[in-house]
Amino acid sequence: MSPVEVLLLLALAAFFAGLGGSYLGIGGGVFLVPFMTLVLAVDIKRAIATSLIGVIATSSGAASVYVRDHLTNLRLAMFLEVATTIGAITGALVALLVPAVFLYVAFGAVVLYAAATMVRVRETAKERSYRGGAEPALVKRLNLSSVYFDQEDQAVYRYRVDRPGAGFGVSAAAGLFSGLLGVGGGFIKVPAMNILMRVPMKAAVATSNFMIGVTAAASAFIYYSQGLVDPSLAAMVIIGVFTGTNLGTRLLVRAKAANVRFVFAIFLAVLGIAMAVRALGFSGVV
Amino acid sequence: MIAARAGIRLVQHRIAALRRAVVGEVEDTNRLIYHVLRGGVLVSVAVLLFGFILVGAKSAALPDHSVPTRSLIPQLVEFTPAGFLSLGVLVLIATPMVRVLLSLLSFAEDRDRTYVLMTGIVLVNLLISVFLLA
Repeated sequence: MSPVEVLLLLALAAFFAGLGGSYLGIGGGVFLVPFMTLVLAVDIKRAIATSLIGVIATSSGAASVYVRDHLTNLRLAMFLEVATTIGAITGALVALLVPAVFLYVAFGAVVLYAAATMVRVRETAKERSYRGGAEPALVKRLNLSSVYFDQEDQAVYRYRVDRPGAGFGVSAAAGLFSGLLGVGGGFIKVPAMNILMRVPMKAAVATSNFMIGVTAAASAFIYYSQGLVDPSLAAMVIIGVFTGTNLGTRLLVRAKAANVRFVFAIFLAVLGIAMAVRALGFSGVV
Repeated sequence: MIAARAGIRLVQHRIAALRRAVVGEVEDTNRLIYHVLRGGVLVSVAVLLFGFILVGAKSAALPDHSVPTRSLIPQLVEFTPAGFLSLGVLVLIATPMVRVLLSLLSFAEDRDRTYVLMTGIVLVNLLISVFLLA
C-alpha cells in the first residue's frame, strides 16, 4: 500500500471508530489498534500511541454533548479520574518496556472481554429509580449521588452511588489498560459503574466518556515524548474521528442502540481472535 | 377521566420544574466545559488541515516522526508540515488538561476543598505525564 492509501484507509476506519465510539460509549481504540496492526501493518506501539490520540478526539467530541445535556456526573468523574490517570501513566510505562508479543496477547484478551460486555440487557425504569437506605460514608462525604434527565422516559432520575472503593479500584485497572493498550477503557468502566456502583446506564456511559479523554491524555504525552506518535497517522485519525463523532452523537438520539451493539460485539470478537492468532504467529506456533 | 388527565398534567409540570432546577444549578460549568472540549477539537482539526495544506504546497513527504516539544517553535516559524501536524496533535492532548484546570477553578470558586484537592491530584498526574520522560 502507498502511504496515501494507508492514510485514507485510516481516516475511514477512524470515521467508523468515532461513529461507533460516541454511539456506544466507548473510545473506539478497541477497533483502531487491531485495524492499524492487522490491516495497515503499523508497529503495535505506534498503533497504540495513534489510537490514544483518536480516543481523546472521540471522548472530547462526544463528552462535550453529554456534559451540555447534563448526563455526566462531574463529581463522580473527578473522583474516579484520580484512579484512571495514575493507572494510565503506569500502563504507558509498562507498554514501553514489554515486548510486542505481550501487547498482542493482552489486547486479544481485553477485546474479547469488551465483546462480551457489549451484549447487555436493556435497563428498565425500575432499575433506574432511586433506592432507599443509608449512603456509604465516602459517597456522602464526596457528595457523589446525583440526578439526570432521561430524554427517552421524559423523567428525572435521582440515583445513589454505591461501593465507591470498588469503583475506584476498577477505574485504576481501566486506566492501566488504557495506557497499556491505547483503548479508552469504557467497556470496563461502564459495567463497573452500572453494576457495582449502581449508576444508571446513560449516566454511566456519559461519565465514562468524559473520563476517557483525561485518562488517554495522561498516557498520550508519554508516547509522544518517546517519538511514537506518527503525526500524519494521528492527524488522519483525529479528522476521521471528528467527522464520525459529529454524526454519531446526532444518531444516538433516535436509533436502536441494542442492534448496533450486537453487530459491534461480533465484530470485536473477530478482531480479538485475529489479534490472538497474530500473537501465536509471533511466538512461532502458527 | 378528567382527574386522570389533570394528574398527568401535574406530573408533567413537576418533571419540567425538576428539569429546570437540575439544568439551572449546573448550567455555567457544564456550558464552559462543553465549549472547551468542542473548541479544542475544532482548533486541533484546523491546525492539522493547515499542516496537510503545507504538505501539498511544499510538495513535501508526509512526516512520520513527531517533532519533540523543545524544537517545535523553530519548526512552526519555518512553516514545516511536521511542525503543524505535531502542533495539532499537541492541541488535542492539551484539551482535556485545560478542562481539568477549569474544573479546578470552578471547585475553588465554590470553596469545595475536597474537590479542589482531588482535581489538584489529577492535574499533578497530568503534569507528571508531561515531564516524566520529556
